[in-house]
Amino acid sequence: MKWIAVGVGALVLGALLGTALPVSAQSAPEIPLVIEKNRFQPDVIKVKAGQSFVLVITNKDKGPEELDMQQPRIEKVIPGGKTVRLKMPALKPGKYPFVGEYHSETAKATIIAE
Amino acid sequence: MGAAFVVTLREAFEASLILGIVYGYLEKVGARDGYRYVTWGGTVGLLLSVVMGIAVTFLSGPLLDLGPDIITVVVIFAAVGLLTWHAWWMQQHARLMKGQVQHRIDEARAGNRLWIVGLIAFTGVFREGAETVLFLWGIMAQAEGAAGWSSVIGGVAGVVAAAAIGWAIFHGGRHISLSRFFAITTAFIMLLAAGLFATGVGRLQGLGVLPLSDPVWNTSWILSDKSVAGGFLSGLIGYRSQPTVPELCVYVAYILVMGIVLFGRRTPAGIPLADPTQP
Repeated sequence: MKWIAVGVGALVLGALLGTALPVSAQSAPEIPLVIEKNRFQPDVIKVKAGQSFVLVITNKDKGPEELDMQQPRIEKVIPGGKTVRLKMPALKPGKYPFVGEYHSETAKATIIAE
Repeated sequence: MGAAFVVTLREAFEASLILGIVYGYLEKVGARDGYRYVTWGGTVGLLLSVVMGIAVTFLSGPLLDLGPDIITVVVIFAAVGLLTWHAWWMQQHARLMKGQVQHRIDEARAGNRLWIVGLIAFTGVFREGAETVLFLWGIMAQAEGAAGWSSVIGGVAGVVAAAAIGWAIFHGGRHISLSRFFAITTAFIMLLAAGLFATGVGRLQGLGVLPLSDPVWNTSWILSDKSVAGGFLSGLIGYRSQPTVPELCVYVAYILVMGIVLFGRRTPAGIPLADPTQP
């Protein structure tokens, strides 16, 4: 019984996450972001405040990178040679810095919502 | 080397803290044969971390875009549930575990709950495991020349250092009384679970499932989450340099509710529990 309850709970949560996100992702603008030589390009990304968007992140390096933003709390692994679509929530005007956790000395960038 | 050391030490710290506590718990209640549940849980967590690390490099499309996030969030909330259960159970049974060793083992087995300890070990290792595996894999893939390999050494040393801390907790736990061990670890688990709960809520905000909100304060200029000290505090008490209102609310609410449930009831007239480990 416990296992069934845990399984059902996981499925419900998964279904919630799975359905909630792609629906609202439609029509959101796509913004490309490239990881190359352990750096983000561009390292300043300007977006419209109050509108959700999709970061289309392509990792051109061999190794994986993890995009790590403190606020809002986002952690996203981008394996080497892969492209990940990261849906971003609508941001208030402001600066939102993030790093590549695996190469935080070089991989630094900021999203500016205005 | 230093940077890699910090990353893996921080990632592996929480897992080793949890392993130290659950191994210590089994040792304390005299159920050493239950170690295998924890060992299995930790091993399966590690293997699945490697599998997930490999899997994400083969996945693409929506599975890669959302799959890891969903798994992470489910594991976080599962860990909160399991840790809560464990803390509640320890508190409920602490006063019953006064008898002989065999009596304590029977108690620990009551309700077939040793496998829960194994599950706790699993979620503890698996939660940050895949990230640590990917990180180590990444620096190995890019290791060229002395600097690259020194990063690899730093990364491995970070995991070893974290494991040493877990072992120290386990070893230290052996020298304190059973009731004190239960009280201290229950408090630790409560803080750890509250921090995890807040992390889970924060992740849901980042995923857009819950609405965003501004941080209540920002102490990242004093103590960054990414520093060694910040990482330790994050694992121990759920420290956040920029907590949002929902994160702070669930953290405080969890501690208030669990604090009352776990520590609110005192033994009659405040008589300390008899402790079988002390003559």
